[in-house]
Amino acid sequence: MHTVEVSHLSKRFGDTQAVADVSFAVEPGEIFGLLGPNGAGKTTTIRMMLDIFRPDAGTVSIFGGQLDLAKKRRIGYMPEDRGLYKDLKLEPTLIYLATLKGLDAKTAHSRLDEWLERFDLAEHRQKKVQELSGGMQQKAQIIATLLHDPDLIVADEPFAALDPVNTRLVKQILEEQRQAGKSILMSTHQMYQVEALCDRIVLIDEGRTVLYGAVDEIKRSFAGNAVVIEGQGDFTDIPGVLEARKHNDTWHLALQVGTDPQAVFRTLAARENVKIERFELEEPSLDDIFVNVVQNGAANPSAVSGATLRTRLEARHE
Amino acid sequence: MNNLWLIAKHEYRGTVFKRAFILMTLAIPLGLAAVIALTIFVVTSGENNLPVGYVDQAGVLNATRQSLAPTPTGIEIRAFPDEETALAALEGEEIQAFFVLPSNYPNTLQTDLYYLQEPPSNDVWGDFDNFVRANLVASYPDEMRKRLIEGPNITVHDIVSKREFSERSIVNVILPFVASFFFFVATMSASGYMLQVVATEKENRTMEIMVTSVTPGQLIGGKTVGLLAAALTQLSIYVIAAVVGLIVAAPHVEALQQVTVPWAYLGVMGLFFIPSYALIAAVMVAVGAAVTKVQEAQQVAGLLNMLFILPILMTVVIIQNPGHPLAVFLSLFPTTAFLTISMRWGLGTVPLWQIGIGWVLLIVTTIFMVWAAARVFRAGMLRYGQPLNLKAAVAVIRGD
Repeated sequence: MHTVEVSHLSKRFGDTQAVADVSFAVEPGEIFGLLGPNGAGKTTTIRMMLDIFRPDAGTVSIFGGQLDLAKKRRIGYMPEDRGLYKDLKLEPTLIYLATLKGLDAKTAHSRLDEWLERFDLAEHRQKKVQELSGGMQQKAQIIATLLHDPDLIVADEPFAALDPVNTRLVKQILEEQRQAGKSILMSTHQMYQVEALCDRIVLIDEGRTVLYGAVDEIKRSFAGNAVVIEGQGDFTDIPGVLEARKHNDTWHLALQVGTDPQAVFRTLAARENVKIERFELEEPSLDDIFVNVVQNGAANPSAVSGATLRTRLEARHE
Repeated sequence: MNNLWLIAKHEYRGTVFKRAFILMTLAIPLGLAAVIALTIFVVTSGENNLPVGYVDQAGVLNATRQSLAPTPTGIEIRAFPDEETALAALEGEEIQAFFVLPSNYPNTLQTDLYYLQEPPSNDVWGDFDNFVRANLVASYPDEMRKRLIEGPNITVHDIVSKREFSERSIVNVILPFVASFFFFVATMSASGYMLQVVATEKENRTMEIMVTSVTPGQLIGGKTVGLLAAALTQLSIYVIAAVVGLIVAAPHVEALQQVTVPWAYLGVMGLFFIPSYALIAAVMVAVGAAVTKVQEAQQVAGLLNMLFILPILMTVVIIQNPGHPLAVFLSLFPTTAFLTISMRWGLGTVPLWQIGIGWVLLIVTTIFMVWAAARVFRAGMLRYGQPLNLKAAVAVIRGD
């Protein structure tokens, strides 16, 4: 049974089609990335998933059925718009939110002690939320998401406003939750975090699913869309190349969809002032894939349609 | 259901322990007590207990008949043979004033009053009137004399409502008026808090977390119940303060001894209180969800409050003529029915049909508003940057 199954969701606000056709599933024991550029429809999709908005079309299944109050209690949600009661003290605020999730006050207190210690917030428990720094409030929000030990964690930009030390701590906690068999749906723009954490992703653009599948498989599918070159000379201004970056003595070239790496090699070889010492296909980063897909509207290096790739990846996954 | 009570408890605690609530709750009874105490102090400290004199040139008064007249102030009424003697006593501060009944008094019923700086109080004047009356009717049989001195006491019996109105129980007339003011203050302050908690929830961005933990019905229901409990706490403190005040003051003020518990009034107000509160709360929920800042919410609510406080602005019309068509209209109009009927209660009889129709219209309007507020709340709760304007709110209610 999927923890979450979203099928052909759509939602319109007035003249704006916020979500046109989004489908994906989240499994137990995985970290799932919900990706997309700003305004792609990620937050609206999450809100429909959690019954905050009602979809115009499509279906949502959570823990094998419609979302009800008992299932809501099994979800920990950290929304994009963070919010805690600013004029209340930290400890009673977190206890109140946990009891609304069905936790009894005594258990909530004992669990809270552990979380506050872990996030280095124990000495601030009697401070008003508004007296805490942005980073502390973010940590408090994470505690509010996890205190009732949810089976599904939905986190919209969980690393925003965190310093490197706390980012590492949150990553570690998410790993622990995955190992405990929890499902984690994470929406973020930080692609390196997605690469480091996510098992599978869905990429939404203009309200539609354009890429969906396991991170490794997607990266393999996009191999060939980037090349690594070592040598001397000018490796910029090459037809069919989106971007040329030099890192140390190595050039990384991101190719346009449909560009043949051999054609790039031939172009460079034809230049008089260029000496090539190494030329190899690079497995692209998710960041490159994201930019490539969003900017060029294509979902793999062979210029197959997003829908085709999606279908193929879905088939592999199943 | 458990969540509803958790939210209610949270809101109740969050409200009654707020400094503004405590100040508001204590300030009104303490303020009234201070005003009453100050009034009593001013009146009693300025009281002149010197005797009042009279010169009877008409020969109608007999000092021995003073015992026949009721003189609540207990001021001595002293006879003087002529104006010169009385004037000397006045200037010597033996008396505070003196009346002169000229020789043609039986024909003109005119008297002259002499005083130095301050005229005698109305009570002293009333004592002297009683003394004159007692003398004028001295020759009548005892029973008739007593009746003439006491004067009429008209009691109006309403055969429909079975209520009685007596001019001697004036406190029972004023009491509903005062009570309606307290009901009103408690209701409006509760609705004000309702507006604030919804707008604050939105401003704090906690709405999204809340609606993924509880149903919107539990969220709004819990807040409504919690704030209603806070309002009732406030009202109870007012009532306790009033009852204690009455118990303390009754031995000293004769009129207060006539006070009876207005059960019928309390029953009717009980019928109107809950739906009126729900109506105001629903309006405030819709406003709180539609705007983006607490300050905006208060501005909009200030305008909407006018719909509820209209009877206060029309107090003069209602007092002068409780049956005036405007008073009747306000008794039927849902936002003003509660307060208008409460104000009219002590002044006369509010026809049963008006109470009935007013209540039915209030219930229907309240049900509609609660339903509409739920729709506006759901549409507006996550609009952080842009408020839901009136046109959009109407579209949401219509389901467009």
